[in-house]
Amino acid sequence: MERSLTHIALFAALIAVLGLVPRVDLATGVPITAQSLGIMLCGTVLGAKRGALAVLLFLLLVALGLPLLSGGRGGLGVFVGPSAGFLVGFPVAAFVAGWVMQRTTLPPFWAAACGAVIGGIGVLYIFGISGMALVLDKSLSEAALLGLAFLPGDVIKAVLAGLLTQAIARARPGALLSRRDAPAA
Amino acid sequence: MIRPVASSSDAIVLTGAGVTLTGRRVLQDMSLTLSERRIGIIGRNGSGKSTLLRLMAGLIAPDRGQVRVAGLDPAQARKEMLAELGILFQNPDHQILFPTVDEELAFGLIQMGQSRSAAQARVAQHLALHGRSHWQGISVATLSQGQRHWLCLQAVLLMEPRTILLDEPFAGLDLPTQHRLARTFAGLPQRLITITHDPATLRGVDRVLWLEAGQIAADGPPEAVLPRFEAEMIRLGGLDADADLAR
Amino acid sequence: MLTLTSPVETALHRLRAGPKLAVLAGFTFALFWISAPLWLGFALVAVGGLYLQGGVQFFRHGVAMLRPLWPFVAVVGLWHLWTEDLAAGGVIVLRMLAAVAAANLVTMTTRLSDMIAVLERLARPLAPVLPPRRLALAIALVIRFIPVLTERMGHLAQAWRARSGRRPGWRLIAPAALAALDDAEQVANALRARGGAG
Repeated sequence: MERSLTHIALFAALIAVLGLVPRVDLATGVPITAQSLGIMLCGTVLGAKRGALAVLLFLLLVALGLPLLSGGRGGLGVFVGPSAGFLVGFPVAAFVAGWVMQRTTLPPFWAAACGAVIGGIGVLYIFGISGMALVLDKSLSEAALLGLAFLPGDVIKAVLAGLLTQAIARARPGALLSRRDAPAA
Repeated sequence: MIRPVASSSDAIVLTGAGVTLTGRRVLQDMSLTLSERRIGIIGRNGSGKSTLLRLMAGLIAPDRGQVRVAGLDPAQARKEMLAELGILFQNPDHQILFPTVDEELAFGLIQMGQSRSAAQARVAQHLALHGRSHWQGISVATLSQGQRHWLCLQAVLLMEPRTILLDEPFAGLDLPTQHRLARTFAGLPQRLITITHDPATLRGVDRVLWLEAGQIAADGPPEAVLPRFEAEMIRLGGLDADADLAR
Repeated sequence: MLTLTSPVETALHRLRAGPKLAVLAGFTFALFWISAPLWLGFALVAVGGLYLQGGVQFFRHGVAMLRPLWPFVAVVGLWHLWTEDLAAGGVIVLRMLAAVAAANLVTMTTRLSDMIAVLERLARPLAPVLPPRRLALAIALVIRFIPVLTERMGHLAQAWRARSGRRPGWRLIAPAALAALDDAEQVANALRARGGAG
């Protein structure tokens, strides 16, 4: 029981710390935040439930006024702005990524990459684009157009999430809580 | 093949180098020429030893004066420094970046420009040389503390740097592992600069520098410096506990 | 712990967190129902006035907190310039700025401890599923471990730079995550040794 709590808290802290890492600019020129990678890892490493709770805990601390989002953002304002939909979608995305990880028997790289695509792109974009549509008063298809800018970066992110999950699985075979047979305490 | 350690062409030279971190002057202006084969830097915690190591390695830049390693600025010439300076940090768990033994060993070689296959071949050869071919593909997590220390050292040695900076290399190791490590160090052809707080590890070096509050308190052969250091540490130990906060 | 609460003391700092949050909720809700630019403009000016009342430095800090919105303002501006419907664009921008500025105002004038107190009150009905002690512990653990993980990230970055001419990138996340997993095990043991998480 304590293990669940500490895993959730430590990974919430990890997401925050990854927000401090400066944006990684890949050759394509599209910026990727280490933080969103961290959010995917919460799902693929901790599993759906704990992963989602870790992200929720992180968002709670942001709401309380800690500048933990990349770029030092935080507070209540980010929850009513145009990217609010993405914030709401983060825990769901982590949940879905974890769910895919737990349900498939694909090797870690593929399971995690698929989870990151379905959760981190598919599900997340539904929330994010809806949020933008609401705040910017546009139709869903119009908002989707704006969201397209993030797509190349997020595809790369899905691959990286796969590679990272695979590395973690190889480093310590029992490390992936999402793949443990017995339910953890 | 390691180029032999020449006397001054590849020396580490600090000229009036000072470092300020978060508003505090951690290292006062240092002017040193380090060219001996075995050098020790001793000081208690908070004396600035780790900062000095990072300064020499080019991991931080001085805000005053300059640092030169083999004539180059280590903070700028990062790629060249890989062949000049190797660093062995204190805690393997803060140093090991990859999940398996061969990835960890091959990393430095690849960063120095070797192809992946060449690096892997070199790693396999190295493991075989040390009777550890069965470590190929092994997860780092299954290694013991001592084995991880060994792994970190090998990762540095594979890059064949001319100088190796050792940050408290014996901290937390049991005696057999310490002796094993000391024997390994004694046999290394490159220049070794050992940072430590324990005088016992520096008995055999050529030169000892005693760092206190960011300044050189003493500089000379171990017989001259270490007794004075030990006497001062005993004196400090006799005073009341360390209750001052850093800031 | 560095928070977004402004060190500049204003009258709003002295108000209790609960009422401030309630007013904010009502205000934000109202904003999304109003579409007359005049009223939205008035709302934004009112919020701006509250900022000014805290002093020039406070006001400037508030404006700085709005910086992440500028790209969206630009996009909306260009979009509505293209569709030749600047009035509608103005409405969107005014509403967005007013909502975010008002929310930021509450964050900037409320201490973390007060926010946590409100959270605890709000979380009371959830007590059967989520004991308040566990929530408080979770929050404390995160705040405790952010500097620890940051320092470790620094060590890992240093270890990388010691063996590579390139700047560290996404590859560091793997050892950082593994270390977080290890820490979680150790802290769980420490917790159990001291009575558990309740």
